[in-house]
Amino acid sequence: MKFYLRRIAFYVITVWAAVSLNFLLPRMMPGDPAAIMIGKLRRASGGRELSPQVIEDIYALLGADKNTSPWDQYLAYWGRLLHGDLGLSSTRYPYPVVELIGNALPWTLFMVGTATVISFILGIVGGAWVGWRRGTWLDHLVPATALLQSIPYFWLALVLVAVFSVQLGWLPIVGAYDPFEFPSGPEWSWDFFVSALQHAFLPALTIVISSIGGWLLGMRNMMVSTMSEDFVVTAEAKGLRPSRIRDRYAARNAAIPSLAGFSIALAFVVAGSIVTEQVFSYPGIGKLMIQSVQGLDYTLMQGVFLVITLTVLAANFLMDLLYGVIDPRVRSHG
Amino acid sequence: MKKISLALAATAVALSLTLAACTSPAPAPSGSAASSAPAMAATLRVWAGSTTPITVDFNPFHVDTALYGTYGPIYEPLFFFNQLSSDAPVPMIGQSYNYSADGKTITITIKPGLKWSDGQALTADDVAFTMGYGPNKTDKMISATATDDTTIVLKYSSPQFTAASQLLGSTMIVPRHVWSKIDNYMKETNDNPVGSGAYVVKTTSDASYTFTANPNYRDPVPITNVQFLGIDSNQSGQDLLSTGQIDWTGMFIANPDSVTGTGAIGTMNQQQDPTVMVTCADASKGCKGDQTDVAVRQALNVAIDRSQLAEKAWVNLVGKANPAFVLLPRDQKWLTDSSLAESPQTANAAQAGQILEAAGYTKDDKGFYAKNGKEISLDLFSPDGWTDYNDAAKLIAEQAGKAGIKITARTVSEAEYWTPVTDGDFQLAMYGLTQSVVADPFSNYDQYFFGKSTAKVGDAPVRGQNYSRYSNAVVNAAVEAAAATDDEATKKAEYAKIQAQIAIDLPYIPVVLNASQAFFNTKNFTGWPTDANLYADPLPYLSVAPAIVLLNLKPVQ
Repeated sequence: MKFYLRRIAFYVITVWAAVSLNFLLPRMMPGDPAAIMIGKLRRASGGRELSPQVIEDIYALLGADKNTSPWDQYLAYWGRLLHGDLGLSSTRYPYPVVELIGNALPWTLFMVGTATVISFILGIVGGAWVGWRRGTWLDHLVPATALLQSIPYFWLALVLVAVFSVQLGWLPIVGAYDPFEFPSGPEWSWDFFVSALQHAFLPALTIVISSIGGWLLGMRNMMVSTMSEDFVVTAEAKGLRPSRIRDRYAARNAAIPSLAGFSIALAFVVAGSIVTEQVFSYPGIGKLMIQSVQGLDYTLMQGVFLVITLTVLAANFLMDLLYGVIDPRVRSHG
Repeated sequence: MKKISLALAATAVALSLTLAACTSPAPAPSGSAASSAPAMAATLRVWAGSTTPITVDFNPFHVDTALYGTYGPIYEPLFFFNQLSSDAPVPMIGQSYNYSADGKTITITIKPGLKWSDGQALTADDVAFTMGYGPNKTDKMISATATDDTTIVLKYSSPQFTAASQLLGSTMIVPRHVWSKIDNYMKETNDNPVGSGAYVVKTTSDASYTFTANPNYRDPVPITNVQFLGIDSNQSGQDLLSTGQIDWTGMFIANPDSVTGTGAIGTMNQQQDPTVMVTCADASKGCKGDQTDVAVRQALNVAIDRSQLAEKAWVNLVGKANPAFVLLPRDQKWLTDSSLAESPQTANAAQAGQILEAAGYTKDDKGFYAKNGKEISLDLFSPDGWTDYNDAAKLIAEQAGKAGIKITARTVSEAEYWTPVTDGDFQLAMYGLTQSVVADPFSNYDQYFFGKSTAKVGDAPVRGQNYSRYSNAVVNAAVEAAAATDDEATKKAEYAKIQAQIAIDLPYIPVVLNASQAFFNTKNFTGWPTDANLYADPLPYLSVAPAIVLLNLKPVQ
């Protein structure tokens, strides 16, 4: 019990620190959002003199903090946060950040999440197998997948698009679904689901190709070292079936470190995959992040970082709790 | 594991970029009549540069965030000013306009019997309302009155001769019965716009939005549906174009033949906007660095090899810039000295040396010019990822080095680019000017060279975009005099003074005229502008011009 209380207290403090940091970061950056927006408006309107009315309006909407103390701003920030209000985006003004993130998150979870799970499963199963058959031709899989992983992601994606989408025309070039067939956006229908699957295939494939090597290598090495453990030798001496030794004894223990890595990888799924989403015009979180950074959209940036931070912390927390169950040693020494 | 490091790296990149960034315009998509069934209405698919996710915004007062198509296809100005020609403005809502002799009163007549897309009558009352609404209000306006159903009288406290394109060509007329009920126009996204243009919004999503013909439009609308797509990279835009999935776009493609080779895609490249090296020119305004010496700017102007830049940084798709900042041949009549028709196209290191030596510089043992023992050393920056600017900056540094002028080229993130440029905290920057949209270079001089369009270093200009901090009494007086007259001879005399001064002072060192390539499907649609018939610029991201193009197209049956 003490273990869990300690962990919970630790995470409460971490969340507080992360959220506070999120409050501080944009305020430490140069320029205030209102001034940035006025600058952009001025360029967009070809240097036309902005009426005092417009400038006043923008300050009223984006620079409202100007006359309040930082402490009051901090309290107000927490107040808004607890009401689920992350403010208005300035690059996509006047859209609320919550709405933008809410629209992007499902796509990211669907495409990047599925790709991460597939990559993990393939990597672990493949790694266990390669490790089990160490010393055979299967060992070549390790450098082969490492090579795939070392291909610049951007280039890999462009090549796959050029071959499968442009030359062969088998798969779509951009988007999360077919905008020509569904001009009004997502709908609940089988056709739409098929369209979404077709569109997710190539981006997901590139993520799997470029990430599987890491899982495979880690699992294979753990497998090799676990197989030299005494309990595996004992199991062999007992005359257990090799498949049982492989699956229940060696692979199960070898997978523990990878599982920890997997929880973090899953948490980072919410961050999306910036390059994938850019190359395939996929409407995910990674793109919001890069657009907010490029457009100096502090509210959107804050919102995206907050979601990522909280998800990573939550995943860590769950993993901590789960580890306590899986491995009692963590509990007593933690 | 790879996933983790990718995500962490991405976060780090994002954090490092946070300090300075600006969105760059994306390429523009286009539509196509791809329907195989002849019964189906033709849909033209456009990529005008929207990125995903598309956030619906048809508010004409959101100059920065309104979706492409808001200006022109949905909302119309009174007249269309074709930036490619010196012809008279084309009537849209307006029929004719008339300036008083002093330029302070404009009388506008609009077409009779017009309707908004919701069926209500569009009258002079709506125009008068628009002229005095929200950001259209200016201190100089005295009144905007509708004297009858089709006549509007605008009164100003100063001459408005040079504001014609802005007042009549880029002020979108909005319906009084809708906008008078909106409390805060800045917060409005106007999802179901009521406009006077040829199109109304049919559907919207996060990936695209579709317009359909406005049944209340005054003329027939040949293309029934126009779909605008959101695409995030030029490569995807090019792929969609060459596979026939989009019909119209405007973006840079280095090897246009790869797209137009099949014969289905046409292209047009009308170079207009000058790419320059902007210098922080005026030491008295707080500029620091060797470029504040006019001799250094003049030497640099002859030291760079523009033909090499055009070839290596822009694959020869750009046009030739001139130091008078007029667009040729459009503004031919405003070019007052034929020697200013073109900036030097090849490098002349000897001439650069002479200019510097005459100004008291001598070459030091490293081969660089120096004065009082201090070498000329200039910093030239461009936004990271704008590869043409980055390449050009590197080449310029090399070329200037050969002439004995030391330049260090570096790239910065977009945010770190705009802030120093606006605040004057720079020496040299690669920069793009916006060409005057009418056949008169006035707005170039007013925006970029006029003393009242600048501010001292540390402040951003309140009006105009004179980031060079240039202020020259002769130019200032000439700009003011030109603004107050409608007489061509008088104006030309003033322009002569301006052109003579700025070509010597060179606060902006002209480099090239930007390529602006448009690509369009000529197999499914005919009627696109041609070199012989430049009725509008076929770039889908412009305002107003796309509406004119759409009305001139015909689907191929």
